Amino acid sequence: MPVIAITDRSPAHAAGLRLRSLSKSFPGTRALDDVSFEVARGTIHALLGGNGSGKSTLIKVLAGVERGDPGGTVGFGESTAPSEHVTPDWAAAAGLRFVHQDLGLFENLSVAENIHAGQRTPRRLGRIDWRRMRRDAQSALDRLEIRVDAGESLAAVRPADRTLVAIARALPAADDKARTLLVLDEPTARLAAAEAHMLLEALRRYAERGQTILFVSHRLEEVFALADAVTVLRDGRHVHSGDIDETDETTVVELMVGRLISRDQTNASLRPSRERPARATIMRVDGLAVGPLRGIDLTVARGETLGIAGLVGSGRTELLEAIFGARAYDEGSVEFEGHRLVPGSISAAIRAGISLVPEDRSAEGVFSNLGIPENLSASDSRRYSRKLVFRHAQERSEAARMIQLMEIRAASVTASVNSLSGGNQQKVVLGRWLAMDPKLLLLDEPTQGVDIAARHDIHLQIKAMAGRGCAVLLVSSDLDELLRLADRIVVLAAGRVAAQAKGPELDHAWLAAHMYASNEEGTAA
Amino acid sequence: MIDTASDPHTADTRSAVAQRPRISIVHVLERFALVWLLLAMIIFFALYSKTSGVFLSSANISNVVANESVTALAALAALIPLVALRFDVSVGAVLGGVSVLVASLTVNSGWALAPALLAGLAAGATIGAVNGYVIAYIGANSFIITLGMSTLLAGVVSLISHDNTIVGVPQALLNFGNDSWLGVPRPTWLLILVALLVAYLLRYTVFGRQLVQIGSNPRSARLVGIPIKRHVLRAFVLAGTVAAIAGALELARTGSGDPGAGQSFTFDALAACFLGSTTIRPGQFNVAGTIVGVLFVAVGVNGLTLAGASDWVQPAFDGGSIVVAVSLSAILARRRGLSSAVL
Repeated sequence: MPVIAITDRSPAHAAGLRLRSLSKSFPGTRALDDVSFEVARGTIHALLGGNGSGKSTLIKVLAGVERGDPGGTVGFGESTAPSEHVTPDWAAAAGLRFVHQDLGLFENLSVAENIHAGQRTPRRLGRIDWRRMRRDAQSALDRLEIRVDAGESLAAVRPADRTLVAIARALPAADDKARTLLVLDEPTARLAAAEAHMLLEALRRYAERGQTILFVSHRLEEVFALADAVTVLRDGRHVHSGDIDETDETTVVELMVGRLISRDQTNASLRPSRERPARATIMRVDGLAVGPLRGIDLTVARGETLGIAGLVGSGRTELLEAIFGARAYDEGSVEFEGHRLVPGSISAAIRAGISLVPEDRSAEGVFSNLGIPENLSASDSRRYSRKLVFRHAQERSEAARMIQLMEIRAASVTASVNSLSGGNQQKVVLGRWLAMDPKLLLLDEPTQGVDIAARHDIHLQIKAMAGRGCAVLLVSSDLDELLRLADRIVVLAAGRVAAQAKGPELDHAWLAAHMYASNEEGTAA
Repeated sequence: MIDTASDPHTADTRSAVAQRPRISIVHVLERFALVWLLLAMIIFFALYSKTSGVFLSSANISNVVANESVTALAALAALIPLVALRFDVSVGAVLGGVSVLVASLTVNSGWALAPALLAGLAAGATIGAVNGYVIAYIGANSFIITLGMSTLLAGVVSLISHDNTIVGVPQALLNFGNDSWLGVPRPTWLLILVALLVAYLLRYTVFGRQLVQIGSNPRSARLVGIPIKRHVLRAFVLAGTVAAIAGALELARTGSGDPGAGQSFTFDALAACFLGSTTIRPGQFNVAGTIVGVLFVAVGVNGLTLAGASDWVQPAFDGGSIVVAVSLSAILARRRGLSSAVL
């Protein structure tokens, strides 16, 4: 096996993780650019950075899922390898253990089966030894002080404990804990405050017993409560590593954003002044409770683009789905043009003039084996139905017009949607709704996984819709996109609207400060 | 702007231009493969010494075409829920049940033919409504619910018929089953009418198109406001009704209500739908393909029977062709890198 392991016994380094000149290029972009830093043994190290900073790529290179560019090295303990030779096997042998954001657990299996998934199943006389399997799993849980019964179904285990179960799976008993590095990718992103607190307590205990931990988080509050050291990436470059005591939240946000935070230095040149005369409110959300959100009040006016910022798990998608009738909500009401919308009725929302472009294009947006015309007309097929005939020719010619208008690149008008690139598929989904001339457009990450040219085209279309008086609710993790398109932005955090701003106060610094920083009133533990 | 120069299948690879012709040849071959095979088989049996005498005789042709009209109607019944990716494995049982019901009403209860036929259609529609309600609104698995319904119906048929074949159905019905009009058996005219109606339904009505969209991606369908439950319920009602028409036709063909006749149609019907999904519009269930699928199996079995093949040949051909055809089409779909809704 071509495992390249150069023994490196210099005592200063033998301890922890050593990254030297790590780079990773994708066609057209450099996701990681010459990143070097170290993680000392027995410490908790936080890895920070905004969207597209290269955190996820770094973890993928460490795990051997993506091959790094030649020239860099990865070392841990006594093993070192050139970054282009890091494979999942090498990472496992070197002692790197990963718990990804998607925990990869099986909800309908028992905890013991989950812990053994992917490992050799204990056998006795050729049959599965269920008793030993359960005993081994229980001892793995006990060792990590996880108060969960191995025989229980995972479905009955609370969210924080599920993450701990995934950690128990990642750290087998045979491991010498001093010789492994536990890498956690946003372990608290989908947890409520109390659950996150439990998980952090457990991580703290593991670290005290000598476990080295590298974790990615967007919540600065927990970074400062937990980490010993911090590394910040921005646009694929390493911008800072150091002890947590030598820095503070404001400095870290500045490092992540790359601009100085100062409220009086308004970055007005970033965006054109868009002070319009006040327009009539078209939608009002009152006291809405859905997903993690409680007591949300929002209004949006005709022709206004309201940006919705927030971290993964902050309830952005749930908010849009509740308005669209795609998700039931516990409390509150949504009023549209003065009438209360029927909760949970998508067709009522569509009839009222509301459209939703969902986040997951392939799972919820397109009909991939059907042609472009059928995809474009799906939300309003009735438009072409006249008495006993269906006007296919008219449907096709309108599809051809939409293809031209949206600059969709397709082999033919009737090409099936799975033959299009991601950006063109997204244009089809957007075009479907634009053709209906909606009064309110709900957009959930409209340019995620879309190439730059398509992104630009989609932005132009959104602006054009707003110019024609359509109200837009724009959810995006892309801060540039929010700043470019939104007249006003609200930040969702800790289950509520944590901040809102419009006009000249809106800039990267404001947005980053409210998204990443622990908010004053939001610590509902 | 429509960009005809870039090949969307291979937009990211350097060999886009080189691969383009090969893909389209494979595509054409695949699209009409079953049709070519059907024609090849017809030519073979027409020339083969053991079968050439009888195979192309008008008596043989009209016998095959009339008999297969029943199977084809059962296949069209199964096709309607299948485009929305729901199985109806009760079409054979409904077919057999309605055949026995109409026979029993006319022979044992003395009903006139017209009301007896209407009662048969109503029974088929009602069974479809029960299937559809449980599947769409209660959310049960379509395969197992219709399988259960199928077994339940077998019990009811046994109750009605006391397990005896009912003979003596009205002559008018027998005439319809065995006469020709313009040289084409009447059952085949009925099939053509129903096939056109189903094709119209799927292509020219909003309901039919939305049924196809539910089959393509149910989550997308929900988010564009398609009433999935209502449509699935209606699809099963239509399936039950078309299966009932097939049942009445079976009675007209055979002249007797046979309690055991229905069940075998279910496999033939579903096999035809799946064979059909490999042709005309590969990857999608479609009416024309389904008819080709029925003919393919029928011609093969008829030719082999005339050639003197033993009894085991028919089920082997029947089952073998579905396994081979559907596997080949899955391989081709994967090679093109396209996911198919069906496979």
